[in-house]
Amino acid sequence: MDKDIKVIVQVDKTVVKITGVEVKGLNIQQLEEILKDKLKSLVRIIGVTGSSIEMDIYGVEEEDILRKEDGLITAIALADGISVSDVTTLSSVKKIQSVNIDSVPEYIENGCRGERWL
Amino acid sequence: MINKAIIIPTGDELKTGVVLDTDSPMIMQVLLSMNGNCTVIRNEPIQDSESLISNCIKTYVNENVDLIVLIGGSGGGHRYSKTLGKDYTHTSLESILEEKYSTELYGKNGHLWSKLICGIINKTMVINVPGPYQEAKAAIEAFKRSYEHDSKDLKQINTNMAEAVKSKYFE
Repeated sequence: MDKDIKVIVQVDKTVVKITGVEVKGLNIQQLEEILKDKLKSLVRIIGVTGSSIEMDIYGVEEEDILRKEDGLITAIALADGISVSDVTTLSSVKKIQSVNIDSVPEYIENGCRGERWL
Repeated sequence: MINKAIIIPTGDELKTGVVLDTDSPMIMQVLLSMNGNCTVIRNEPIQDSESLISNCIKTYVNENVDLIVLIGGSGGGHRYSKTLGKDYTHTSLESILEEKYSTELYGKNGHLWSKLICGIINKTMVINVPGPYQEAKAAIEAFKRSYEHDSKDLKQINTNMAEAVKSKYFE
C-alpha cells in the first residue's frame, strides 16, 4: 500500500544568499553554529557552491538581517573552509510569503523531469 | 535486526568536496547503537542524478542488504533557486520502491521543504533523511526509536521521522 501525507509547516523564515565567497571543505554544522550564535536564531544552510552559500534564517526579519550584513560576513569567515573578500555580499534576502493552502503544488510522481524542475 | 546497512550520501557539493559529509558518520553511529555487530558501508557521494541514485540503490538491493539510508536531495529548492542542488532522492525512491509511505513537509510559502519516504524493495528497507545535519540527526534517531518499537510498521516509521524533522523547524 502507498500512502502520502502532506503537512504544512507554519513557521517564518528568511532565505539569504551570500555570494563572492570561496568555499572548499566546509563544515556546515560548524557554520550553522556560528551563525546561530551571531543571530540568536535557528539557521539552516540549504545550498552551497564553490562561490555562494544559501541559507534559511528562522524568525528574523529582512531588515534586521540587512542591518547586520557586515557582522554576518565577518562571522561566516570564522568557519573552516570559507574565504571572504571585498566582493562578498548578501546578494539576496527574502522573507517567505504565505500562500493559500490550496495553491501548494501537486507532486507529480514519475512526471516529466523537465516539467517537474522548471 | 539490521545486520547490513548502506549509507548513500547524495549531492554534487559533497562529490566535489565543497562541503564535508558530517551526516554519514553520525548516521553510522546511530545504526551501530542499534546493533554493534552491524556492517555499515558508506557509499561514495552520488551526483544529483535520478538514474545514478536509482542504480546505486538497485545494486545494493541485489546484495540483499537490510537497510539503505539516503542522505539529502529530499526537498524541492532547485525549483525556486537556480543555485540549489537538484533534489532527486525522493523521485528515485518513488519510482523504484514496491511498498512505500511518504510525508511531504511544505513551508507556508508552498515550497516543498522535505519529502521523507520509507519503503521496501525486495527485502531491503529504504529510507531517506534531509541533508541538513540537525534534521538528518532527528530523522535517523526517530527511525531508530520507531524501528526498535515495530520494525514492520513502515507507516509509523515514516510518520515519526517526519514529525522529528518538522520539530527541528521550531527550535
